Amino acid sequence: MGRLVEHPILDVKSSTSKAHVVFYFEGQPICALPSDTIASALIANGIDIFGFTEHNHARGFFCAIGKCSSCLVEVDGIPNVRSCITPVRDGINVRRQEGRGKPKW
Amino acid sequence: MVDNEAGGRKHVDAIVIGAGPAGLCGAIAIAESIGDGTKVLVVDEGIEPGGQLPKQTHKFFGHEGFYASVRGFEIGKRLVDKAKELGIDFLMQTTLAGIYEDSIVAYDRNSNSVSEYTADYILIATGASERFLLFKNNTLPGVYGAGAVQTLMNQYKVMPGKSFLIIGAGNIGLIVAYQLLQAGAKVKAIVEATSKIGGYMVHANKIMRLGVPILLNHTIISALGEDRVEGAIIAQVDGKFKPIPGTEKEITVDTICLAVGLQPSVELVAQTGGEIRYISELGGYVPVRDENMKTTVDNVYVAGDLSGIEEASTAMIEGYIAGYNIAQKITGKDLSEKITDMKNELVEFRKGPFAAKVREGLKKMGISFPSGGYREEIQQIPSSPSKLKAVIECPQAIPCNPCETSCPTGAINTGGNINGVPQVDYEKCTGCGICVTKCPGLAIFLMQQREEHSIVGIPYEFLPIPEKGSSVKLLDKNGKYVADGQIDRVMINRKEKTHIVFLKVPKGMEGVVRHFEMSTASEESQAYICRCEEVSRNDVEKLIDAGITDYEEIRRVLRIGMGPCGGKTCRSVVLQIISEKTGVPISESRLGAFRPPVIPLPIDAIVRYAKGVDTDE
Repeated sequence: MGRLVEHPILDVKSSTSKAHVVFYFEGQPICALPSDTIASALIANGIDIFGFTEHNHARGFFCAIGKCSSCLVEVDGIPNVRSCITPVRDGINVRRQEGRGKPKW
Repeated sequence: MVDNEAGGRKHVDAIVIGAGPAGLCGAIAIAESIGDGTKVLVVDEGIEPGGQLPKQTHKFFGHEGFYASVRGFEIGKRLVDKAKELGIDFLMQTTLAGIYEDSIVAYDRNSNSVSEYTADYILIATGASERFLLFKNNTLPGVYGAGAVQTLMNQYKVMPGKSFLIIGAGNIGLIVAYQLLQAGAKVKAIVEATSKIGGYMVHANKIMRLGVPILLNHTIISALGEDRVEGAIIAQVDGKFKPIPGTEKEITVDTICLAVGLQPSVELVAQTGGEIRYISELGGYVPVRDENMKTTVDNVYVAGDLSGIEEASTAMIEGYIAGYNIAQKITGKDLSEKITDMKNELVEFRKGPFAAKVREGLKKMGISFPSGGYREEIQQIPSSPSKLKAVIECPQAIPCNPCETSCPTGAINTGGNINGVPQVDYEKCTGCGICVTKCPGLAIFLMQQREEHSIVGIPYEFLPIPEKGSSVKLLDKNGKYVADGQIDRVMINRKEKTHIVFLKVPKGMEGVVRHFEMSTASEESQAYICRCEEVSRNDVEKLIDAGITDYEEIRRVLRIGMGPCGGKTCRSVVLQIISEKTGVPISESRLGAFRPPVIPLPIDAIVRYAKGVDTDE
């Protein structure tokens, strides 16, 4: 788990790039690359539980292309954000979604 | 250019939904033909255009006209560049949320707003999504779609795990297994419920020679773990795919990859009113369409996996067919020649045995494609070429011919049909190795029998690149160790990134050896021989490989046998290794000197003796 630092085919220079974005997951700062999605940044940091279902089952991502809605997280209080196709942004607050997500009005 | 209509609605000549190979080629065909890219709008959910191409690191099959032997991500780049050159508008991170009677509604995630469109023509190329598989704990984090793992690994360069179990031995499962190995992960096994490998044999061979077992007639019963995957239980299945009790086996892995097929994403076609029919050979529910890719709705076209699960190459061709048809209607120009050309391409691509399902499926829609007309005969490999020659191990009729088109001496032919099994004219083959680096299936090897040993050249796409002269363990086509060998030389190809590693193998084994393992990497080689001085097997082997084969010399360099035990533990082992590696029987090797003292003596004891001190004092 973590980032690829060498690869026989792909250019992985970006993995070691200094430019980074910091966001928060469950209150903890997470260091990401500007090219990351929320999902790729979490997995690169060893986090694979993105939320819990209504029946309290752990959920991670599944399809990575925005089709399955398994990877839903809460971003800045807004639930049901597909983390696999949402780019990271500096300072966003990401939380594990519980159940269908409760919007904070 | 998007024209504004009353009510904030925007109008375009053609809207293309999906920026994968089919959508891109469709948009390119329309833009090229009408001579104005700004009248075409491409909408896609992804962050960057290209669909699933950016995550494909392998070279594509097919022919040069459709980027054969070019890696998927590179094809994606070329198509996107071409589309942008033509001035085509892209609306990325935008989900086509619905096609209503009066307008098309797009949701832009970036601005969190919707916009409305109308279009004269719609080309839907929404592709497919991964099929799910039913087993216990199948939603546990760590159970991922194979495509998802590819996206993460190849596009974002993030590894979701270290050891993987793959479910499904179709092309996707086989390709993902290979790519995981390239990224340095372990693939414990591929399980396949049917009794045969569904993907191309050349893809299967690539991972089998690396030692990954493909377990046929097996399925997954359960994922193990509380909050994430810690393992899996697999079992053998009977003829009806039911697990056979008592055959369950536990495998320790941290990630399970599902590669059990794709299902077309038909939602939007259904919303246009286009007829959807269940045709299992095409992947399930698919839009009904004609040979011009037109659905049952007059101005709605489809292309790519949405219209039937197939290959990226055929998706591109379908995209062109749909695009030229749309352009023909927009411009009133006669584009029938281009359309016919593309249709003929499809005919060629669909002649082979792997297209049988697609042919069957399309027949149910009233579209027929011919089969056959290609060579299936496999050439006998010459037994002992004295000069370097190419040997092609491509036993199935697949639509692919870069071996033929890349050969500078015209020595390779597929028999006049792209699906034909290739053959080599050994009079013409110079053993240059270009075909080895071009073959998308990595199925071409070089062979030569020399006086004292044979040479096998293998295509190599891994890290590290082995050093000339280093010793290796030679593996057969199933990844089983067969003999020790040496790296003769490495032909580095920085452009293609498929290198050729030439192996020195025992004479007569050139038909057997198909891969190697670095000896230094093996656990056995890390084993200590000398406990006192901590000298490993690897240290000793390296020295022997460098030409130092005498025990005394090895002792002086490595201090092996010079520790407190005086060589009691290590001497025989070192002599054994020297014998194994040089072929000189141990009975004939030089034993080395046995110098006193046999055990380390306290200097005090010697001094006392010298002084004549009574030890009993």
